Amino acid sequence: MIDAASAIIGRAEGAESGGPAVSGPEPVPITLKVNGVTRTLQIEPRTTLAEALRGRLGLTGTKIACNRGACSACTVWLDGMTVCSCMILAIEVGARNVTTIEGLARGDALHPVQAAFIAHDAMQCGFCTPGMVMSSAALLERMPDPTAEDVKTAISGHICRCGTYPHVVAATLAAAKARKA
Amino acid sequence: MAADGTTRTERFPSGIASVGLGEVERQVPLDEPPPLPANALLAVIGKPVPRQNGRAKVTGATRFTVDIALPGMLHGRILRSPLPHAQLRAIDASAALGHPGVRAVIVVARPEDPAASVVRYIGAPVAAIAAVSMAAAREALRLIRVDYMPLPFVADMDAARAPSAPLVYDSASAPAGHPSGYPAAAGLPLNGNVRGPATGRRGDVAQGFAQGDVVIEGEYRTQVQTHCCMEPHAIVADWRADGLTVHMSTQFTAGVRHELAETFGLPLSRVRVIVDGMGGGFGSKSTLGNYGRIAVALSRQAQAPVRIMLDREEEQMDAGNRPGTWQRLRIGARRDGSLTAISLASYGTAGVAVGAGVGTVAEAMYACPNFEAAQHDVFINAGPGCAMRAPGNVPGAFGLEQAIDELAERLSLDPLVLRDRIDPSPVRREERRIGAERIGWQRRHAPGADPGPVKRGLGVAQSLWGANVQINSACEVRVMRDGSVEVLSSVQDIGTGIGTVLAQTVAEVFGLRPEEITIRIGDTEFPAGPPSYGSRTTASITPPARTAAWRVLQLLFREAALALNVAAGDLVARDGRILVRDEPNRGMSFRDAAARLRTDRISAVASRSDDYAGFRRRMEDAALARQDLGGVQFAEVAVDTETGIVRVERVVAVQDCGRPMNPLQIESQVQGGVLMGLSYALFEDRILDQHTGRMVNPNLEQYKLAGPRETPAIDVVVLENYQGQSATDAYGIAEPSNIATAPAIANAVYNAIGVRLRALPMTPAAILAALGKVPVRS
Amino acid sequence: MNRFAWVNARTIAEAAAAVSTTVADAMTASVDAAVPGATSVVKAGGIDLLDLLKENLLAPGKVVSLSQIPGLDAIDEDETAGIRIGSMVTLASLADNPVLQQRYRALADAVQGSASPQIRNVATLGGNLLQRPRCWYFRAEEYRCLRKGGGHCFAISGENQYHAIFNNQPCAIVHPSTAATALVALGATVELATAAGATRRVLLEDFFVTPDKDLQRENDLKPQEILTAIRLPPLPAGLRTAHLKQGEKDSFDWPLADVAVALELEEDGVCKKAAIVLGAAAPVPHRAKAAEAALVDRRIDEKAAKDAGRAALDGATPLAMNAFKLPLFEALVGRAILKAVARQ
Repeated sequence: MIDAASAIIGRAEGAESGGPAVSGPEPVPITLKVNGVTRTLQIEPRTTLAEALRGRLGLTGTKIACNRGACSACTVWLDGMTVCSCMILAIEVGARNVTTIEGLARGDALHPVQAAFIAHDAMQCGFCTPGMVMSSAALLERMPDPTAEDVKTAISGHICRCGTYPHVVAATLAAAKARKA
Repeated sequence: MAADGTTRTERFPSGIASVGLGEVERQVPLDEPPPLPANALLAVIGKPVPRQNGRAKVTGATRFTVDIALPGMLHGRILRSPLPHAQLRAIDASAALGHPGVRAVIVVARPEDPAASVVRYIGAPVAAIAAVSMAAAREALRLIRVDYMPLPFVADMDAARAPSAPLVYDSASAPAGHPSGYPAAAGLPLNGNVRGPATGRRGDVAQGFAQGDVVIEGEYRTQVQTHCCMEPHAIVADWRADGLTVHMSTQFTAGVRHELAETFGLPLSRVRVIVDGMGGGFGSKSTLGNYGRIAVALSRQAQAPVRIMLDREEEQMDAGNRPGTWQRLRIGARRDGSLTAISLASYGTAGVAVGAGVGTVAEAMYACPNFEAAQHDVFINAGPGCAMRAPGNVPGAFGLEQAIDELAERLSLDPLVLRDRIDPSPVRREERRIGAERIGWQRRHAPGADPGPVKRGLGVAQSLWGANVQINSACEVRVMRDGSVEVLSSVQDIGTGIGTVLAQTVAEVFGLRPEEITIRIGDTEFPAGPPSYGSRTTASITPPARTAAWRVLQLLFREAALALNVAAGDLVARDGRILVRDEPNRGMSFRDAAARLRTDRISAVASRSDDYAGFRRRMEDAALARQDLGGVQFAEVAVDTETGIVRVERVVAVQDCGRPMNPLQIESQVQGGVLMGLSYALFEDRILDQHTGRMVNPNLEQYKLAGPRETPAIDVVVLENYQGQSATDAYGIAEPSNIATAPAIANAVYNAIGVRLRALPMTPAAILAALGKVPVRS
Repeated sequence: MNRFAWVNARTIAEAAAAVSTTVADAMTASVDAAVPGATSVVKAGGIDLLDLLKENLLAPGKVVSLSQIPGLDAIDEDETAGIRIGSMVTLASLADNPVLQQRYRALADAVQGSASPQIRNVATLGGNLLQRPRCWYFRAEEYRCLRKGGGHCFAISGENQYHAIFNNQPCAIVHPSTAATALVALGATVELATAAGATRRVLLEDFFVTPDKDLQRENDLKPQEILTAIRLPPLPAGLRTAHLKQGEKDSFDWPLADVAVALELEEDGVCKKAAIVLGAAAPVPHRAKAAEAALVDRRIDEKAAKDAGRAALDGATPLAMNAFKLPLFEALVGRAILKAVARQ
């Protein structure tokens, strides 16, 4: 169950009469916790999380490539779980922690997956890269010692036209090793 | 080249490193650097240097055009034709103009202008709006009233060739072709929807066929493929009184600048094109495009910046495509394999555009004294095709390399043995040798020999790609008094990593590390660089970069020589220091040498000189190098003959690119070319509904791209092939690595199941049909 | 997407009362240009709903979210020693569930590797069962097809390579839910609730609606009804189940064909009862009755499996472009049977 109500701030029609709270269709204020920082923003209920991140919050690291959940370029974490942010409404995120690509590194210190991606040249044009990094890093959180097949499964939702899959797999396996060491 | 006082004689490494290097003598212009030794002797060139913009890419910091939001920026959206062929009778945008969020409206298709009153494909631009939000733009677009008179249309190439087919164009309206012959020659005849033929000929094929002992003949079909760049086409146009600035996801900033200047009547100096992150092009983002023109026109009208970015459906329908083709090849040969005649007829469709040929492979790959070709464009009412990663040669190789395979079988020759006999290229010979060993070619069995439902096979195919050089390429190198170094060019990095290669090139000259070089590219404020298409970027810009760096180094040497009391010619740059060559413990740091400069900054601008032994052919801003790029690929497949599923298990790709500058990035490029070729071979297809002329899969879900689970093991081997033609002797690899994959897989499938697939994509439906397992409806 | 208001339902009753219509009815209403914005529809995971909204196939005035309702995302043993799966359980939770992996293996097979990890993390089983078809004419607003209330099926004479090989007149859709194939083979029932608190249970196989009964919806969900749970019956002794699917690609693709089998074997290995269900074959999950009959009272070996594979094609009426599904189904049925039998 997702505790979304607490994150919709401001009065919503219907709450007083005992029925469920109704928000919008005009813009309503919500809070989102993104990369550890709580942000307040006005969005219409139809605004996707991807649009809210890229537009309202200026976090353009998350990319929209197909806008249909078919390519995974827009992958972010909700409480550590990978989702296509173009298929999540901002209003339904609630109190869950949103982690975007901008939130992976700790200051100057890159996440092991990010460092491995550079070392293994797991990017070319770079447009699918943020999503790939998020999927790869999420995999290592729940499976610290994956096989190449495990990595392929974890990134199986991603489309990369430049063809980085072999280097992404190599980088992810290398990052797993580096984390164990 | 005669010695005329402007050149000196130099000796360059020459040949294929794995075969054995020799030397070749060249005349080098006096103001160009001495020969670069083979990679083994270099410090940073030829080394797997990590991508210099890698950190920005993995942290999401790279700004792509779709990420740019300028103050007051408006959102543009294009109204597109819902019909495949229609005459515009009226268009009324007044209601849209009245929408409170709208700031500009332009009409693209105009009923009163015969040249602009007909729309010829679903998705053709009709009008456009700039509004304060994308939502407002979409709403306002719905307010535009258009009165279309539907016209008969044709959405299939074979149907379009029939004499009774609806006409896409008449002679007045048909595209004129290109004076250079690419993508399709100017002045070719038009009969109905068929334009051409573009012909080629040498010798006498009739005689050639008569001289042969065998003739094989086959027909091949390839599908329309869309580019599927992950970043959609996008432009932010900012028209101001003092000039036009455009951010664009483009493969050619300098070229777009020219187009803008011409189209809008502006001096070049008032037009600036900028790109930082660029999310893929593959040939589709080489020009200004209709959306680019529209964005600038909207910005001019609204007097505000306007961003247009295509959504995925628009990308699939109106952002270009690789034309589909049909070809018939006849090859005559003697019993020993030597070819006596090649005859090629092809028809291809680029929709409403031209350029649907099958390339140069049949003409140029193998020794054959007699050759004829007739290539035709067929117009259909579908989105315009354009160049896509090795245009022409990709479909051409699919046909030719299977035909050669078939010939080998007819002559009872191993396909590699046949190619050894008829392929004049020493580079491909070495590539075949290396690849055969890597894949284990000796394991190859007779076609269809495996028992059981899953049958495995091995196949080989090879490629040829002209090595283009953009002569109109320049690069500036600057050294600042604090020792910092910058490289500047309008060249753009579309994912190939040219920035890193430039850093390596210049670092090598200065004896610095690539990380110490600041790369400033993708801006036409900098010296005009080459496009990132045609696999020509590296060949065009690295020589000027090295030359400019070398010239700056001479200036630095002059200062250091004074301080060290030696002649400038006695100095070398190495390991971050300027040293006396014969007394290496005498010297100073690069930084100290720079501190001695008279001014804050010294720089040199160099442009791409001619290849030292000359070019094969010159075109306007470009030229063709004497030696083509090769490439040989081997594929191992497993075909499930009960389900029709083809699994490519392994590909060995042996490629060449002159001097490989960065093996890490090159490996990425080759893997990418192989995966794109695999995807083309097995999955991709732009499917048009014939009754409505509409693409039924304008998305990334039903237009199928190879994903991680389809990825085979890919072994990449890159030859070092020195030719002594320029200051770096480096060439491109993006297109060469995409050509041989599909035919290698097709030949492997034949080896696996004993049935040849002559059409792409090789879907389960196609495989099962080829195996005779699909019941035919009566 | 159109502008819609957002409702966080706190209880099932609240959700059922807030919803005005099913998505299927709302889509037909949109096409018929009834009052725009008048409808309010349910959102579970939202994967199908957002796709439909983005394609302008419906324009509801309100979207009613189920995600806050407690108890809808639980997997429990129920009173019959079967399993009760809340309708909001995600496909990822299902795929990870050890009870399914041990006992209801066909369902675990079906949801593992379907779609993508990101989709599985969000998509719910209920939403998966109720999703609308993937037919590319149906999914494009430019085509006013039969199923959306128009007058013509564009697939029958058009691009029908991915469409039905059974019962494909007058509409050629295939049912899009891979999980449904397995659930029908396992004898699942669905539980539905109204605002007034009434609940009903329907055998899933009966819950799907064939085009001859109703062309404009794939299932019997009533307006203002909420799908609350999917129940699996307790397993008979000797039950072997498996599910196989094959897409054109293995990475993130809809199946060209999928098959679920549930075989009750005697101790001597003779098949007592068989359920063989074909997905991506027909507008509803298709029971291959002739294939089932081919196995009953037989010991299952390769020959039996092959015979069943052939019999599974009984009654197929392929269209111009999808006859390749016949050999594909024949192979998958045989393989699924052998896979089930090989399991302990």
